[in-house]
Amino acid sequence: MQHMKTKILSIITLFLLTLSMSAQIDRSIQPKPGPSPKINIGQPKTFELKNGLKVLVVENHVLPRVSATLTIDNNLIFEGDKAGVSSLTGSLMGSGTKNVSKDAFNEEVDYLGANISFSSQGAYMRSLSKYFPRILELMADAAQNPVFTQEEFDKEVNLLLDGIKSGEKSVANIANRVQSALAYGKNHPYGEFTSKKTVQNIKLADVQNFYNTYFKPNNAYLVIVGDVNFKEVKKLVKKYFNNWEKGELPSYTIPTVKNVAKTEIDFINMPNAVQSNIAVLNTVNLKMSNPDFFAVKLANKILGGGGEGRLFLNLREDKGYTYGAYSSIRSNEKTATVFKASAQVRNMVTDSSAVEFIKEIKKFRDSLVSQEELKNAKAAYIGDFVRNVEKPETVARYALNIKINNLPEDFYKMYLAKINAVTVEDLQRVGQKYFSADNARIVIVGKALDVLPNLEKLPYTINYFDKEANPTSKPEMTKPIPSGVTKETVINHYFEAIGGQEKVKTIKTILNTSEASMQGMTLLLESKSMAPNKQSVIMSGMGMIMSKMKFDGEKGYSEQQGRKVDLAGKELEKVKSNTVPFPETGYATDEKVSLEKIEPIDGNDTYVLKVGDDISIYYDVASGLKIKQVTKIKIGEKTMYQTFDFSDYKKVDGIKFPHLISMTMGPQKFEFNTKEIIINKGVSDSDFE
Amino acid sequence: MRKIYFLSFLGLFFGINTFAQKVTFEEYDLSNGLHVILYQDNSAPVVTTSVMYHVGSKNEVPGRTGFAHFFEHLLFEGTENIKRGDWFKIVSSNGGTNNANTTQDRTYYYEVFPSNNLKLGLWMESERMLHPIINQIGVDTQNEVVKEEKRLRVDNSPYGQWTGEVFKNLFKKHPYHWVTIGSMADLDAATLEEFRAFNKKFYVPNNAVLVVAGDFEKNSTKKLIKDYFEGIPRGEEITRTVIKEDPITEELEVTFEDPNIQIPAVFTVYRTPAMTTRDARVLDMISTILSGGKSSRLYKKLVDDEKKAMQIAAFNYSLEDYGAYIILALPLGENTLDDLVDEMDEEIVKLQTELISDKELQKLRNKFENNFVNSNSSIEGIANSLAKYYMLYDNVNLINTEIEIYNSITKEEIRDIAKKYLNPNQRLVLDYLPKTAKE
Repeated sequence: MQHMKTKILSIITLFLLTLSMSAQIDRSIQPKPGPSPKINIGQPKTFELKNGLKVLVVENHVLPRVSATLTIDNNLIFEGDKAGVSSLTGSLMGSGTKNVSKDAFNEEVDYLGANISFSSQGAYMRSLSKYFPRILELMADAAQNPVFTQEEFDKEVNLLLDGIKSGEKSVANIANRVQSALAYGKNHPYGEFTSKKTVQNIKLADVQNFYNTYFKPNNAYLVIVGDVNFKEVKKLVKKYFNNWEKGELPSYTIPTVKNVAKTEIDFINMPNAVQSNIAVLNTVNLKMSNPDFFAVKLANKILGGGGEGRLFLNLREDKGYTYGAYSSIRSNEKTATVFKASAQVRNMVTDSSAVEFIKEIKKFRDSLVSQEELKNAKAAYIGDFVRNVEKPETVARYALNIKINNLPEDFYKMYLAKINAVTVEDLQRVGQKYFSADNARIVIVGKALDVLPNLEKLPYTINYFDKEANPTSKPEMTKPIPSGVTKETVINHYFEAIGGQEKVKTIKTILNTSEASMQGMTLLLESKSMAPNKQSVIMSGMGMIMSKMKFDGEKGYSEQQGRKVDLAGKELEKVKSNTVPFPETGYATDEKVSLEKIEPIDGNDTYVLKVGDDISIYYDVASGLKIKQVTKIKIGEKTMYQTFDFSDYKKVDGIKFPHLISMTMGPQKFEFNTKEIIINKGVSDSDFE
Repeated sequence: MRKIYFLSFLGLFFGINTFAQKVTFEEYDLSNGLHVILYQDNSAPVVTTSVMYHVGSKNEVPGRTGFAHFFEHLLFEGTENIKRGDWFKIVSSNGGTNNANTTQDRTYYYEVFPSNNLKLGLWMESERMLHPIINQIGVDTQNEVVKEEKRLRVDNSPYGQWTGEVFKNLFKKHPYHWVTIGSMADLDAATLEEFRAFNKKFYVPNNAVLVVAGDFEKNSTKKLIKDYFEGIPRGEEITRTVIKEDPITEELEVTFEDPNIQIPAVFTVYRTPAMTTRDARVLDMISTILSGGKSSRLYKKLVDDEKKAMQIAAFNYSLEDYGAYIILALPLGENTLDDLVDEMDEEIVKLQTELISDKELQKLRNKFENNFVNSNSSIEGIANSLAKYYMLYDNVNLINTEIEIYNSITKEEIRDIAKKYLNPNQRLVLDYLPKTAKE
């Protein structure tokens, strides 16, 4: 028997083997990677000029082109009430030199098909290798001998001012500005920003002065990549940069940066926003030489580093709230860095997105990531490294990183080993240290009308800021009422929506039976009404009447657990003036009823009718239906609000009635489901006695 | 190469040493009609696998716009053998990166892996082509995501809506009338069956080109391609008819208000011929004359000298069936949009009546040579160009020879093409204004 079994097995095995042989591949199995490719980390050749300029050269002859990048790695610069002077300096540079006029300069660069550009602390050029010597010469000339004229200055100031103006309605632009200002404080180089006011403080002399002070070779690096020969480059660079004089740089102490004591929402209102920009952020120190660096990068990768990050999978792939949700943290040598988790989400899910962000950050801090997540994140990181490491720009960038971040020379040689050594425990530890859930700012730039009511339900203090990050008060939460809309049009629209005024007029009595459940007990509500103002409401549970209220047109009472109280005073007046079955019938002529405002509820605009001082009724602008009623009730010293939400409108005898009414008061909520509505039948005068 | 450098060092303004840079590729068809292009470059251990499908928003029908772009999303949802939600994870956990993009004419999907994962890249693309899962849950999720994409890129984005306004008005009959992202109402109304039918019609091997570029070994790669792709059934032939537009004979004036901007912009737009034509390439050169670099005519005049514009640009938005030649400007300070249009027109008239100088022509050629060298600077870029030249130009070798066409364009042609297409009665003028505050 044993023998037999083996034989069958081997036949089956053979059969399977032939099958898979003929199919060549089994596409149900994900292909395994082949042996890891060998990688080479290139080394640039370097030299240094007497003035401190350090030069890195990466030869690469695949294409006949060269780029040169000048980076001045000075301390951070705080511009204060002249914020914008650095950016103006950058834009004025390259517009002519003491040796070449602006027009001749631009003409020559264009003629040679090249590019040269400047920033306040650097320069960049790119050209075909045959034109490299001349383009480098032009760049060097423009860097060392710039001409700053009033005419160019005025032009660039105008451009800058218009640029500021053009960004004022951009949600993304405002979000970035305010996030930095709040995270770092406006007294910090990263927190300050250029405004119309600061630009107006800047004079041409300030630009000249900024250049003279900060555009120095002391801390500068020149990186040249491409189809060049090192010896030739050395000759050229010496020729063109040797005379660049070093200088004394002013000392400056960067202010320290603090986080908030307790997580808060910082809200900036932009009425034109169709999406909210949300960022959950905190500041933290992280230098590239920090032993946590690799663990932090991997942690961020898993949390929100891309299309496979938890944030993306949750907020985009699972919930469809956003086009993309990500987190980021970069190292910074000079000051604190920002950890930020952010997305642009549609208005309606702004509060839910904030909740999910915090949830994901907490989860990351509170539990270990799985081994598989870590394995995948490592593979992704290593893949990024492998895909890029042999590009000449990467070789140059890595070498420059080592220098400006004070890294050990073998930093990139050890890169893969360091990544591989990170454990899931490391990730949780750095998660707790670098990603904050309890001391975070949730900075939200969005349309207050749509998003604030729901944000207010979250357990966070909301602080309001203007577009320049100054504290401000809560925005006005109403919209102007369009011309032509009056309380009459709102009421008419409502009647049309439920079935038409004519139809409504034929209704004299209504008997409505509905049910709600409370702590497992079913409550039965029977309400009767008869035109013009007779009402009766009886609530019972477990076969017993729990409370009732009756009004016969002149007098009435309420009764609760056997205690009967007559209606009197203000209450009696109110009930008397209330027209039934449809209170709206009386609103048109009631002077106490007014159209107050437009207010959005769950993203839909509603017209709000105020009835006296205590009642607000909300009619959906689009459908015309009544969707909500809020009554202010005073119980002793305390003011409470009783809210009815009307939904599930269905037709009964041609008239639409809400079949689901939720009543909320304080923490209590009851949902009444309408069981039956009877019109013009089953109600008599005696029901109201 | 280095020799050229030393030579040119002396004769900087004389020598036109067009560098003979050749992308050597191999192309063939599988029996199911899938076109394959291989480009080998073993200098770094990286490989790109990509598939371009000849389907874009112009293959949609009115009432169901946005499908092609929607598929750009949908075809990441999973396949018979790739679980929903695993796509990105598989790519990144194997050290790769991937993305996709859609235009009016074609859709492009690609992965870049360390070269030891070539097989994985081929498997994934073949899975996507053979049996993607298209179900309601995927449709519902991506529907929301696409709406967010539209809010992000269009509705909430400063100047995000000009393309839609331009194409809507420039094309009346041709499907270039609508934008690639399509109408959200159309996507909401579309049924699962309609999505499946669209997939069956367009995402088939005989409507696609597969490119493998980078570090691989040819013979084994060809076998892998055969193994993974040959079994994918051929789809029905797709018939393509180019819908002809009536010529524009009177200037069209359109105004649009964008709530996200503070500074207006003006666009003058001319309908131009297909990207494959010589005329379209002449228009590319005209763009460079007008706005390529600080010494270009419009930039120098409007931004630099007269300081009337904050920004100007001219470019030929070239597409498979037609193009749109666009000149745009943002006024500086109190200058009006009409002022800017007058200034632009003055420069166009100059192009139509005066020949450009020899030096200007040489400048153009130098710029195009520079662009040409840079256009082939990354393996991913080469893969994309190979697919594009095959699918939309029907000549893969243009990757090497297109520069020759540009170099053969004469001063007279530049003048004549400006005269032929860039006249006020043939254009649309879009005043793109800040929305006045009502809220």
